[in-house]
Amino acid sequence: MKVLAFEQLAYRHFASDYASNYDSITTMPYHKLVDRKLMHQDHMHFLDEMLHAARSGFDGLATTEHEQASYDILPNPNLQMSALAYATQSEGLDVGLACVGRSLAKSREPLRIAAEYAVLDQISAGRLVAGFPIGLSYDVNRNNGIPPIETRARFYENLELIKKAWAAKEVFAWNGKYNKFPEVNTWPRPYQDKPPVWTPAVGNPVTLAGIIDNDDAFLYLSWFGPKLTGQRVFDRYWDLAEERGKDRNPYRLAFVQAVFVGETDAEAHREYGPHIEQGYRTGLGSIPMQSLGLPGYIDIKGVEFLIKDPGDFGIVPKMRTIEYKELVDQQCAIVGSPETVTQQLLEMVKNFRIGHLVIMVQIGSMPHELVMKNIDMLSKHVLPKLKGTWEDENWENRWWPSGAR
Amino acid sequence: MSAQVVIKGPERTEVVKAWNDQIDVQVKVAGSGPALVYLHPAAGLYWDQFLDKLAETHTVYAPEMPGTSFGDPYAIHKVDTFLDLVLIYEEVLRKLGLNRPVAIGQSFGGMLMCDLAAHFPDIFSKIIPLDPAGLWRDDVPVLTNKLYIDKPENLPGYLFLDPSIPAAQAMFTPPADPEMMVKHIAHMVWSLGCVAKFIWPFPDQGLAKRIHRISVPALIIWGKQDKLIPVAYAEEFQKRIANSRVEIIDQSGHIPQMEQLDKTLALVKAFIAS
Repeated sequence: MKVLAFEQLAYRHFASDYASNYDSITTMPYHKLVDRKLMHQDHMHFLDEMLHAARSGFDGLATTEHEQASYDILPNPNLQMSALAYATQSEGLDVGLACVGRSLAKSREPLRIAAEYAVLDQISAGRLVAGFPIGLSYDVNRNNGIPPIETRARFYENLELIKKAWAAKEVFAWNGKYNKFPEVNTWPRPYQDKPPVWTPAVGNPVTLAGIIDNDDAFLYLSWFGPKLTGQRVFDRYWDLAEERGKDRNPYRLAFVQAVFVGETDAEAHREYGPHIEQGYRTGLGSIPMQSLGLPGYIDIKGVEFLIKDPGDFGIVPKMRTIEYKELVDQQCAIVGSPETVTQQLLEMVKNFRIGHLVIMVQIGSMPHELVMKNIDMLSKHVLPKLKGTWEDENWENRWWPSGAR
Repeated sequence: MSAQVVIKGPERTEVVKAWNDQIDVQVKVAGSGPALVYLHPAAGLYWDQFLDKLAETHTVYAPEMPGTSFGDPYAIHKVDTFLDLVLIYEEVLRKLGLNRPVAIGQSFGGMLMCDLAAHFPDIFSKIIPLDPAGLWRDDVPVLTNKLYIDKPENLPGYLFLDPSIPAAQAMFTPPADPEMMVKHIAHMVWSLGCVAKFIWPFPDQGLAKRIHRISVPALIIWGKQDKLIPVAYAEEFQKRIANSRVEIIDQSGHIPQMEQLDKTLALVKAFIAS
């Protein structure tokens, strides 16, 4: 199994009552809420912490893209990934670099993404995992003005174009519905023959089927509460894979799980707990529900399904005022001593067949020193016990970059 | 409350094959007499008392925009651009064999109707835009995007001055049968999504450049307290359409034919008869 460190770039200094006053997307007033020196500091700490994780023995680093968001200020994660690609390459740290953003449905410049990813792959000598999410409705439709009903078709056209731009041996013309380019010839091409593709998604069966048919990997997230959503979404995924003639290779799956480790359970809850609660309330919790699916964004059959059974949303509908205990009970975050955390992670990994475990090491207001401690505790006491998982089953990992450890 | 509102509804559906036979456009029809075309707003066709009343003296033809017909949601994927849509409607009206009917268009339907009249100057004999979309002023934003981003429970407040009136309550009450309720809500959400293809993020497809081509008489009706498309736009339409006049209806939001049925109906009938 591969274990990656992941962070969102949250502004860490919001007042504790943020969630009752502001959304975390699109409308929150920047100048009123942000101190420029602290924003700068958060940007530096993000990079410092990710580099620390690379130095501490994680197999890879992961970032996501969120635009006009206060909980993940990464309008283009490739900028941060570029700094990390250079720094790790200079130090001889051959970690995988999983850019699990860039959101494709909203992109009016998909060839720019093809080129940026290729640049990252070149700097890192083939360590890129290319993430291609469809994109959240608020970002695709509200922030970027794409008609919701075009979201999916744009995603598929852009994905096809990028893959072709990487693979093409000759200059080609692309006369698509949304892209018209007379002469496509992306320079550079990726260092790898075919960078592995991971697609973040929330469990929509249509999306899952597309991922399986493309032979890409599915990335899912713990934020909805794996106790509520994990079994149903992962069962759906593996059943679909089987139906569509694919094996149960765990490396077809990546899972983002927030994990926070202390010397003891009590210490971990005391130190990390308030930041976890604040992070979920002010982040995911402060996205208005209707902005996760503007009319037309979700297929009509999906809307019927969600009205009848909103279970895929897990605890998201009450996240804005969620209590810490429930976040832990539902495993939105796994918190405790190394033993507690390791036991829960191993059970989850085996149960859901997770081949790439993406550990979220920071959330919300959690300060730099505590994040560094978490990374240290994870790398010293948890990673060694996770290493080697799945090796007994001899699966080939075709979804890991060829230049990474 | 809603029991007070009795709606007869359409009498029949005519299916018109359009767009090289790729799309079956459903046209709801009622009444007898001269043809009258009604073009529906963003939430899809809702047959109300206004259409019932018009059907007492006219044959009302109400085409459903591709994708918004119950049971045929994916027709929208065959319509890529607003020009496609305008051409599809022209084809449907031509195939119905209507001879220069009067047309009424509400909100998005008003925008579409104005563009049809601008593209095809002889397609209608008269037009009646009811709080139409289609123009844009930076200082008076059109708020149709709120129908998509605000909470569902807030939507009636954008459409009605008084959302508690029986006609509004009847419109927002889904069927009681649980299975039908799910289908009804999903269908309404999907219809909004279909129309958003042409009005998201703004209902501006360049009508301002073409509207001068409208040559038929126009009666522009506007709810004085319209929150979705403010009444300031009444004058914007009036000054761009040569042969037009405006009637402002007090005590009405975005849908005057529901909120002030009698007044709106009287104006419409007088204009048609003139």
